[in-house]
Amino acid sequence: MATMTSGRHGIIRVGRRPGRDRGDVRAQRNSLRRTVFLVPGIALLGLLGVYPLIQLVWMAFHRVTSATINSGPWEWVGLDNFVQGFQLGETGPAITRTLVVVAIVTVFGMVGGFAAAVALRTSGWWSSALLALMVFVWALPPVVNGSVWKFLLSDNGLVNAIVMALGRSTPIPFLYDTNWALLSVAFVGAFAVIPFNALVFRAALLAVDPEIFEAAALDGVNRWGEVRHIMMPSVRPTSLVLLVLTMVYAFRSFDFIFVMTYGGPGTATNTLPFLGFLQAFARFNFGYGAATSVLAVIVVLVLAVIYARSIRKEEA
Amino acid sequence: MKMSMTKRAARVAALATAGALALAACTPGGDAADDGAATDAATDGGGAEGTVTVWHYFSDPQQVALMDKYAELAEAANPGMTVDNVFVPYDQMNSQLISAAGAGQGPDVVIFNGAETSTIALAGALAPLDDLWGTFADADQFPDSVIHTVDGTMYAVQGYVNLLGLWYNQDILDEIGVQPPTTIDELESAMAAAVAAGHGGITLSGLPNSQGEWQGFPWLSAEGFTYENPSAQALEAGLTRVSNWVEQGWLPQEAVNWDQTVPFQQFAAGGFAFAANGNWQQGTAEADADFTYGVVPLPLGDSGQVYLGGEGAGIGANSANPELAWAYLTSSYLSFEGNLAAADLVGSLPARADAGQHDSVTSNELLKPFAETITMFGAQYPSAAIPAEAVADVQLRMGQAWSAVIGRQHSPADAAHTAMTALEGLLG
Repeated sequence: MATMTSGRHGIIRVGRRPGRDRGDVRAQRNSLRRTVFLVPGIALLGLLGVYPLIQLVWMAFHRVTSATINSGPWEWVGLDNFVQGFQLGETGPAITRTLVVVAIVTVFGMVGGFAAAVALRTSGWWSSALLALMVFVWALPPVVNGSVWKFLLSDNGLVNAIVMALGRSTPIPFLYDTNWALLSVAFVGAFAVIPFNALVFRAALLAVDPEIFEAAALDGVNRWGEVRHIMMPSVRPTSLVLLVLTMVYAFRSFDFIFVMTYGGPGTATNTLPFLGFLQAFARFNFGYGAATSVLAVIVVLVLAVIYARSIRKEEA
Repeated sequence: MKMSMTKRAARVAALATAGALALAACTPGGDAADDGAATDAATDGGGAEGTVTVWHYFSDPQQVALMDKYAELAEAANPGMTVDNVFVPYDQMNSQLISAAGAGQGPDVVIFNGAETSTIALAGALAPLDDLWGTFADADQFPDSVIHTVDGTMYAVQGYVNLLGLWYNQDILDEIGVQPPTTIDELESAMAAAVAAGHGGITLSGLPNSQGEWQGFPWLSAEGFTYENPSAQALEAGLTRVSNWVEQGWLPQEAVNWDQTVPFQQFAAGGFAFAANGNWQQGTAEADADFTYGVVPLPLGDSGQVYLGGEGAGIGANSANPELAWAYLTSSYLSFEGNLAAADLVGSLPARADAGQHDSVTSNELLKPFAETITMFGAQYPSAAIPAEAVADVQLRMGQAWSAVIGRQHSPADAAHTAMTALEGLLG
């Protein structure tokens, strides 16, 4: 084992060739440089990510309203904010609605994304152009996307015009019937995530050696056989990661609800994130809203851990 | 002229401000001098220099034009003053003000929903106005009903009053052979006839927020519901009535997705006999309605109440120059010309006594029914029975109940029960 002593130019490893010592010094300098470059990122992450999270949790255990948020100290209430949400019958239904949205967005987002990737698997200009268009739609601000969908799904909108032209006598109450409204916002959420999922699935499919498809064709495998025996196994590692990402996306469902229904009719589309928003920014009970948000954060953290493990497994 | 004259008031003097003054039991200040007030305002703010940042949530072209007019008036009265109007979306206004106050920042002047004064003031985002108001030469022109105080301290003042009336499509009423309704039974008969003739009945907002609460309160109060003495039976009766409107096809269930702008656009398109909407829609009606229209007070019986709303103006708690901000307010929003501009551009009822008695206001046939409404049904907004800290919560819960019934999420009985449970905890 090498011993070390201090020299004029810093730490020098004794008992090794000069060339290697210089290499070690360079490596240490590089490491130090990397650390210096990391500092701003870590500081920003702490300031904009970790600190607000700590503040959120702290707030969830205190009575914080518009009258006290900018003045302290906040009154400690323990678990009251969490308990009240269930006692008043707000949190339980919101969790159920959130799960419905997550289920719909995840199933439609994953299946739709994979189907689109299969359809656009080739690397020709038209599939690239179509994908670019889809990504453009995906990248649109949710407020714009939601407003367009609100227009399309209204009684006088395009979708109902088509439905009526096909013979239905009354419009479908997409956004103002209790059940339809939740399904509609979930569907729009799924539609919005399909382009991203398709892009990721397509990247995984393009990595498959074309000779495998050629060999399969020579063996007489049909299109469905290719999908089932080549494509689906090929995207399995990617799917796990994407599944977690899609669930996190669905769980955060807020934007489309805000634009399209504002949680209505009544409270029919109040998911957990939207309930937290209403409590904090419409009722100005920040402690109450923080408690609801903490519940949402816990679920997202669990999904984040699953995601991290999936990534590690895929890279192994 | 498109507007129907069938509801010409017998008393030309029954004007907006007169009504507001009667309600507020306030003493009007002196004669209605057409130009004297402006001079006072200019004097109050004369010589002020610098930039005044004004936050507002107006997106309607007429309302934006009014903000531009205010800037023009203030800059003309205060050489060296520059006004910077900043749009903040309605839904974000309060939260942005509160977070800015927490950071020691914020606008010089904020124009906001006057009913939400307590929410903003309690968070420390507004500066007290008592001292400045005490020096304002025209203070006695304003009725008490437009002054917003929290725990005895004044934080905001309205330059005008906005409220709801019943807009009607005269062409449809002529077709079905009815007069503009004066009772709720007449309204329902007219809606039934209109729907039978292939038209829509009425448009209003059923959004599950404060806009829904604002729109729903008159119909709930018509059945006897008040925040001073909340009754589950009265609330259920009011909700049952609107539920019946939806069931009969008089009111579209889709109203749960409409803020207050959309239902008036629907009315202005000509498909509906009635719209429960505000005086501020005057510009939209003139621009879009291709039919004869008019306004009557909402038919609310003996117990009905209509909120006297409107935007409040306040000075930001962290304004670097509150005197400059005050100079802006007194030379624009609170000035004689500013009041007339609000009436002319938007159709708002002037809060100032002298502006309310100006010819351009008294001769406006559309404003008369709203002025009558003030005297017949005018109610403080929000109710004094609601604790300052609970205002936002009450508005949301009641808006959700209103929306839940229109959207068929809950029966009127269930919605009333849920709302009453919430009110018990909030009203104390």
